Amino acid sequence: MSAVSPLRGGWSLALLGLVRYRVIVILIATLVIAATFVPGFFEARTLSLGIDRVATMGLIAIGLTVVLIAGQLDLSGGAILALSGIAAVGLQESMGQVPAAIAGLGIGLLAGCCNGVLVVLLRINSLVATLASMLLFRAVCHLITDSRPISGIDPFFGIPLTQPVLGTLSTRVFIFVVLILLLHVWLTRMVSGRNLFAVGSNATSAAASGIRSRWYLFGAFAFSGLMAGLAGVTFGIASNTGSPVFGDTIVLTAIAAVVIGGTRLEGGVGSALGTLGGLLTLAALTTAMEYQSIPAYVQDIVTGAILLLLILLDRLTHAKRGTDVSPTALLRRLSPKRDAARQHETERTPA
Amino acid sequence: MTVALEMRGISKSFPGIRALADVDLVARAGEVHAIVGENGAGKSTLMKILAGVYQPDAGSIVLGGSETRIAGPIDARKRGIGMVYQELNLVPDLTVAENIMLGATPARFGFVRRRALSDAASAVLDAFNARIDPSALLGSLTVSQQQIVEIAKAYAQHPSIIVLDEPTSSLSEHEAQALFHIVRRMRADGIAIIYISHRLREVLDLADQVTVLRDGQQIDTRASDGLTAGEMIRLMVGRDLTDIFPKRVVPIGDVVLEVDGLMRAGAFSDVTLNVRAGEIVGLAGLVGAGRTEVARAVFGLDRAQAGAVRVDGAELVARTPAQGVAAGIAYVPEDRKRDGIVPSASIKDNVSLPVLRSLSTAGWISRSRERDLVREQVETLGVSPPVIERAVDTLSGGNQQKVVIAKWLAARPRVLILDEPTRGVDVGAKADIHAIIGELAAAGTAILLISSELPEVLAVSDRIYVLSEGRVTAELDRTEADEAAVMLAATGEAAHA
Amino acid sequence: MTDTKLDTTITGVPGTSRVTRANLGARLGPVIGMPVGIVLLLVIGTLLSDRFFSVGNLVNVLINISILGVIVVGMTFVFITRGVADLSVPATVAVGAILTLGLQPAIGTFAAALVGILAACGAGVVSGILIGYARINPVITTLGVSTIVLGIAQWSVGGVIVYGSDADAQAFVNSRVFGIPVIVIIFVIVAVIGHLVLSRTTLGRWVYAAGSNPDATRASAVPLARTRASAFVMTAGLSGLAGALLGITLQTARPAIGVGYEFDAITAVVVGGISLLGGSGSIPRAIGGLLFVALLNNILVLHGVPTAVQGIAKGLLIVGAVSLDIYLRRKGGRS
Repeated sequence: MSAVSPLRGGWSLALLGLVRYRVIVILIATLVIAATFVPGFFEARTLSLGIDRVATMGLIAIGLTVVLIAGQLDLSGGAILALSGIAAVGLQESMGQVPAAIAGLGIGLLAGCCNGVLVVLLRINSLVATLASMLLFRAVCHLITDSRPISGIDPFFGIPLTQPVLGTLSTRVFIFVVLILLLHVWLTRMVSGRNLFAVGSNATSAAASGIRSRWYLFGAFAFSGLMAGLAGVTFGIASNTGSPVFGDTIVLTAIAAVVIGGTRLEGGVGSALGTLGGLLTLAALTTAMEYQSIPAYVQDIVTGAILLLLILLDRLTHAKRGTDVSPTALLRRLSPKRDAARQHETERTPA
Repeated sequence: MTVALEMRGISKSFPGIRALADVDLVARAGEVHAIVGENGAGKSTLMKILAGVYQPDAGSIVLGGSETRIAGPIDARKRGIGMVYQELNLVPDLTVAENIMLGATPARFGFVRRRALSDAASAVLDAFNARIDPSALLGSLTVSQQQIVEIAKAYAQHPSIIVLDEPTSSLSEHEAQALFHIVRRMRADGIAIIYISHRLREVLDLADQVTVLRDGQQIDTRASDGLTAGEMIRLMVGRDLTDIFPKRVVPIGDVVLEVDGLMRAGAFSDVTLNVRAGEIVGLAGLVGAGRTEVARAVFGLDRAQAGAVRVDGAELVARTPAQGVAAGIAYVPEDRKRDGIVPSASIKDNVSLPVLRSLSTAGWISRSRERDLVREQVETLGVSPPVIERAVDTLSGGNQQKVVIAKWLAARPRVLILDEPTRGVDVGAKADIHAIIGELAAAGTAILLISSELPEVLAVSDRIYVLSEGRVTAELDRTEADEAAVMLAATGEAAHA
Repeated sequence: MTDTKLDTTITGVPGTSRVTRANLGARLGPVIGMPVGIVLLLVIGTLLSDRFFSVGNLVNVLINISILGVIVVGMTFVFITRGVADLSVPATVAVGAILTLGLQPAIGTFAAALVGILAACGAGVVSGILIGYARINPVITTLGVSTIVLGIAQWSVGGVIVYGSDADAQAFVNSRVFGIPVIVIIFVIVAVIGHLVLSRTTLGRWVYAAGSNPDATRASAVPLARTRASAFVMTAGLSGLAGALLGITLQTARPAIGVGYEFDAITAVVVGGISLLGGSGSIPRAIGGLLFVALLNNILVLHGVPTAVQGIAKGLLIVGAVSLDIYLRRKGGRS
């Protein structure tokens, strides 16, 4: 197996690279399309408005990135968002605004821990577990609000969240960007972040190396719940409303963003910056389509189609998933002079 | 030299099987101690006890002078025992360096010290003289490179003992040389190395001490100086034949199955063999020689990249199990639990599964025909209890195996490939299965038998092909085949002798 | 048990193949649990409310579950073949409903419903190919297909509500034959056919085998991918039928008409004790689960318990049923 087969020439490598770095390609393509159709698309105002719309979903996507890298799924983000929002808005009267917000965050964390218990302790498949907890959290929302939206005590309290702070970026966008950069640092630089990849990629091997796989899984769900809680709190405060129906379709779009960003559903591969790219893509897409007054359902079709296409591509290149397509490796391979370096970089034997 | 590990009087039984009986093992620092034995001799069990996977029934383990109980794999690691198993245990999506240091990543305030990580990994790889980029993704490496990373991972923990379980089984001669260099390097570092291998030549090259196990008994432990491959084989196989395998003499007809130059990259190459009607042909070889892989490819479960398979002279074109069945090939798989039974389904549903189409009209199953067919097979094979509605996972191993065979007999095959049909089966069921094989041959079925139990292959087969490292190294007639000849070909010694 | 022979497979670890008293209980539990549970609910319901055990109320329960029941039949196939779950149900229901009502004036109700069902099947074929042949995660596939199909459905009607124009059809579906509502009859027919397909045909046998042990199934020359795909095609088609029935009864169809049916169907199947791990289960058990949930709901409604609490009950029921299944499997020695 030391020979490089002819198939693994430039083309297949280019395809693999394309799949891995798709988010850049797709993002650029979307931006070009958006710029063509939307006059003044690159003006700061248009851009920041576009990002502001995805900030809430972005927080959920941050949590999902972690859960997906660990090889699990979390469908309950939308319900947790609604629950935390209701808490943060509804408790204002009795607790005060800041404590209510903190309570909202706490509820998100608690809800995430519930998911963690279901998946890690009771060993329920994460899809069914979070499906059940989603039903539960939604039901609780309806129960405590009597299925009616509730309002906060001070409509001006949330204004700062949507006001620009740095140039044109609103506070909540700022929070989101900071968090996603922190996530990036955590996933790439910290031991626990790297261990998360190990757990998602090969849990038995990780456990054999002394990594507490089950705690990582639990932590992933708790974190995802906290992020959904943060999304709910910021969204609730900004709109001064809590409603049991908030966020009912947000999870699928968030999953789409994460997957467009290159995170693999089977776990072990993913990145925070990719998720950011995926979100920006969806933001640009939405802005462009809305500008052309293309109805929301057509946007759904496009999002769904992109999602399925990417997963299919992922699947078709799955056999070669071990191929190193990091920038350095690509450079090394694509530079014709350094053939020597190729020698020890051959395909994994399909064992 | 100091004694790093002493295992004294280790015994271990599994219900019905004495896996190890009173085995002693002494491993000294800076010494390579090889353990050899046939498949199932107890080598793996002994190592699993050392790794803390199993607890011994009797005996003690003395590590660095003090008696120790090894609680589990992680405990073993902490106590300085590095295990390198045959199957790789690495994370494909992390880099080489991260894999080597997994679970012990150098860190400051929770942040990876990337420089230290890369330096530590490079230091190990350099010590091994391995030209592997520590920043490469592990999944992008070849199997032999991954094998080296696996050893490097164990070595990076500064163990006092390293166990290498069949490290060369998937490596080519050239790649193995690189590995030997690493083993010698670790020996020079004063690590006690326990080396398990089927390849006797490398055992003679590398080992200082050799322990021979057979049927869970320690046959001999001696210095490798003056030991020859022939002598080791004699020690390994020199057992009494406790099982009697009756052989029926049946007329042998025309060639039914022809395999011509079959190749699957990384598994086997240029495999050519044939089986005649009424003939039982044994396919012998050591674990990892590619026997199962050949069988799966002939049946159509795995894709072969080159070569042809013909049944009665007609070549099989589309290679799927369905095509194999249509052409009259049946395959009783090696891994009964994975590829053989549908556990929660009944005996009836299992037996009729491959032939459902012929039992039904427009998709509607004829229950009476199905029942008759299954009853007939269950009776022929003596499945017990003969209750065809019983769920298969409530049966004993031997009866599960009979169900799998019944399933394929129901398909009335021209060619029957049996892959370890008597493994994990008790003596009674084993005799039953042999009787069935004999009857099938008498009825004109061409039979290809894979078995790790040499006496079985020798007794039952009319002809034997021996595979070694994915190639046919010998074709022996019944009259010229004996254990020594087969082992010689299977260990690759025939070529060197 | 005279058969106490040993099972020492490759690992040399003794097998767990014998039936002991403990795991006999574990094996019988799921079989008798559901009928007992339903009877218990009937008793409790009767004790709690005198309106409960009346023909009128119980027939109402049946009518209420009939449309969902049609979907449950399909979802059972998906579960047994280890396809996890089909989340595209809301979309395929909407397709069935919208096309039936939208095409009604042009080609008549029956033909329109047929077109609606076929279109839903088309969506199922897409999911089936992606899941069965390309082996993509079923959850994401059906979610993605759902988004696309729902988008197309909305697009085709311009994102508004479609109204029906065939009062006769509505009257027929709501009518009764020998006192039995037509819609219940349709459900029973679908359930019986589904049960026969699952228990008496080649496809049904393949569905079980594929869910129980895909490797052995493939090694037994069974078309594994096609079997997997067919479960999703069937669920989509049945959801289309459910959508058509829903559209005809309501005479209106919004794109969101099917929302919630996927979770309700999953709840019924899971409460019926059918494992996500596939390989076991039956239509009667799924319908048992459906009845159980429906009766529980009915009792709660009769007691004036708010809808939200019913949601909580449903969520807890799923968690409880799945945990019980996992527990029983571990105890029964299957992993």
